[in-house]
Amino acid sequence: MDIQLKRGLLEVCVLAAIKSEDSYGYQIIKDIRPYVTISESTLYPILRRLETADLLTVRTAEHNGRLRKYYHITELGKKRIEAFKDEWKEIVSIYDFITKEEKGNDQK
Amino acid sequence: MTRSEFLSLLEQRLNGLPQEDLKRSMEYYGEMIDDMTDDGIPEEEAVAAVGDIDGIVDGIISETPLNRLVKERVSSRRRFRAWEIVLLVLGLPVWLPVLLAVLIIVMSLYIVMWSLVISLYSVMVSLGASAVACAVWVFVRLALGTPLQSLLFGGAALAAAGLAIIFLHISNITAKGVLILGKKILVGIKKCFVRKEA
Repeated sequence: MDIQLKRGLLEVCVLAAIKSEDSYGYQIIKDIRPYVTISESTLYPILRRLETADLLTVRTAEHNGRLRKYYHITELGKKRIEAFKDEWKEIVSIYDFITKEEKGNDQK
Repeated sequence: MTRSEFLSLLEQRLNGLPQEDLKRSMEYYGEMIDDMTDDGIPEEEAVAAVGDIDGIVDGIISETPLNRLVKERVSSRRRFRAWEIVLLVLGLPVWLPVLLAVLIIVMSLYIVMWSLVISLYSVMVSLGASAVACAVWVFVRLALGTPLQSLLFGGAALAAAGLAIIFLHISNITAKGVLILGKKILVGIKKCFVRKEA
C-alpha cells in the first residue's frame, strides 16, 4: 500500500483503538494487528504525531511497579475519526468509479 | 540481545538527538519490551520483535524536524562559539558589504524583470488607447466629409487593436515567467541556507 496512505489510515486506527478507553502502546498494537500490520517502530512516530497535533494526550501511570504511558483521545481526536468516516464515503465512490471503468473495459 | 543491551545501543545510536526526544523513545521501547515480557514473551524474543535497531534509528531521525537537529547541534558545541563570534565580529567589514551587495544585486535584477513586464503592459495600454482614438476619428472624418482619411484611420485602428492583443499575450507570458523565476530564486536562496545548516 502507498506509504502516505497507510500512514494516514494507521493514525485513524490508533485513534479508534483509544476511543472507548485509554490504552498503552503494546495494547494498541495488539488491538490493531488483527486488522492491519503495524510494528512497534511504526507506532512510535504515529503516537508522537497525534500528540503534537493535539489529537491525543499522554499520562504516565504506575503498573506492576514500573511506569507505563497511557494515551487518551481528545475531542479533536474524536472529530478526526468522524471526519475520516466522511472522507471514506468519498473514497468508496471513487473506488466505484474506478472499478466501473475497468468493468466497462473488460466488456469491450 | 537483552533489554538493557538494546536500550543502551539505542541511546548510543540516537546520540545527537534532543534530550527530550531521546528520553521519550527510550521510555517507549523500554515499556514495549516490558509489556511483551509480562505477556509471556521471552526477553530475547521481545527485543527481536521490537524491530531492527537501524530501522528504528532511521525512522526516529527522519521524523525529527531539521531545525530541532540543528538547534541541538549548535547548542551542544558551545566551546566553538566564542572564537566563532570573534571571527564574525572581526570579519564584519568584509562580509557585511559583500552580503549587502549580493542582496542589492538580486533585488535590482528582480526589479528590472518587473520593469520589463510593466513596460510591456504600458505598450499594450497605449496601443489600445490609439486604437480607440483612431476608431473615434473614423466617425469624425466621415462627418467632416473626408471618407478616404476615414478609411485610413479605420485601418490604423484595426492595426493598433491587433498589436494591442498581441502585446497583451506577450505581457502575460512574461509576467508568468518572471513570477516563476522569482519563486525559483527564492527556493534557491532557501536551499543555500538548508545546506549550510545541514
